[in-house]
Amino acid sequence: MFKGIKKILVGGEKEGEILELFKEHIEKLSEASETLRIAIESDDASLNYEICELERTGDIIRREIALRLYEGAFLPGIRGSFYRLAELIDECLDMVEDTSVYFSLIPGINPEIRDLCVRVAEINCKMVDYLYEAFSSLETDADLSDKTIRIRAKEQEVDGLKHQINKKMAKVPVNSFWEGINLTNFVNSLVGISDRIEDAADMIQILNVSLR
Amino acid sequence: MVLQGQNVMRTVGKELVSLNVEIVSISLLISSVAIVFSNWRRVPVSSHQAIVASLVGSGLAYGMSVDYGTLMKIVESWLISPLGAFFLSIVIYRLMEVTLSKLPPLKAEVILRYLLLMSGSVIAYNTGANELATALGPVVYFGLLTPLQAAIIGTALLWTGAYLLSGRVVEAIGKGITSLDPYSGFAAQFGAGLSVLLFTTLGMPVSTTYCIIGSITGVGMLKSTKTAKSPFLKNILLSWIITPVIALTLAFSVSILLLSF
Repeated sequence: MFKGIKKILVGGEKEGEILELFKEHIEKLSEASETLRIAIESDDASLNYEICELERTGDIIRREIALRLYEGAFLPGIRGSFYRLAELIDECLDMVEDTSVYFSLIPGINPEIRDLCVRVAEINCKMVDYLYEAFSSLETDADLSDKTIRIRAKEQEVDGLKHQINKKMAKVPVNSFWEGINLTNFVNSLVGISDRIEDAADMIQILNVSLR
Repeated sequence: MVLQGQNVMRTVGKELVSLNVEIVSISLLISSVAIVFSNWRRVPVSSHQAIVASLVGSGLAYGMSVDYGTLMKIVESWLISPLGAFFLSIVIYRLMEVTLSKLPPLKAEVILRYLLLMSGSVIAYNTGANELATALGPVVYFGLLTPLQAAIIGTALLWTGAYLLSGRVVEAIGKGITSLDPYSGFAAQFGAGLSVLLFTTLGMPVSTTYCIIGSITGVGMLKSTKTAKSPFLKNILLSWIITPVIALTLAFSVSILLLSF
């Protein structure tokens, strides 16, 4: 009976479903980032299809989150932040997909920058793991700052690698104008994923501070 | 209104001024027009001030005895209750900072939902015990309605008013003074609710509107004095002074006019 009264007065079912959907959303991002890392490491552009599928699933999850929020989950004051978080995770997935598409358009990565690119892809995977931890901490920890600081530190590491890649890029020979463009787009997109993950982490921090 | 409205009804309907049918009709008519007009203009006006002042104005015009002691007590409570709400909201906010803020955010959100429901219930209870009792006190004590009939009719009309006309004032209060998050929203609402409840127990007709304004200002100033929008507060303060003056003058003039026919 108490459960019935609690459900009528405060609910909680929709909120639980949304939290599960967010976790699933970040898991899809994690899978996509990991697949991209494997694709770069093993020079296997065929994995692009798998990443596109994960991005499509991410889109479905984002729409589902929006629907549940519209149905009245959480206090109205924080629904906007939750939806923005879903959008940011989706932007991360979009960026992973873009990177994968650019990767499939280039004839392999030059050894000059290959290791650096793999390193960036590894850091991206780590950052997604941290993002999952930060989101889960909304339910368990009062202070999320250490989790979001770790993400920020990793993003700075990617910035340093980006600088190194850009320096070495000048020495990478390209066969045509479009090959050069695709390589630049691939590198810019790969190093941009960490920025998007950082944005998502910032939104988790906004959610955190808006409830205190 | 049924449980705790009797004290307020007695103060307004029996102790403040001796009533006759003309005084009750004129004062309630003038008050309702003033309240509807102010709501339409998005100015939060106190129904208590309008009702009490127009009762006094009309009573004076008809030469009825006005209990100035009771009137002074009412005016004092108008001054003290928003201040009480101001300080209570600050205390509640500080308490939340040392308790709720220590919890994981989503656990705090669940508790906040309960707390907001509770504070909303306190305000709704006060609306019946104080606002409705003030408006219907003269009607009940003049013998036009029994307390139960007044409670049923009052509740129905209260619901209609909230449904049809409250949106504009909700917007003005919710966004006009300072931006409210669920956290400060609860501190403000509960602070105001407690202040009104205290004065209701003492039988004083105090304004929930001004108590909420006092508590929102308290929370806003606690965050930073800059977050409380002073032009809006000045308008409210002006309305706090103007409302009883206009209601009293209008009720007095209309009563004199009717007496001359």
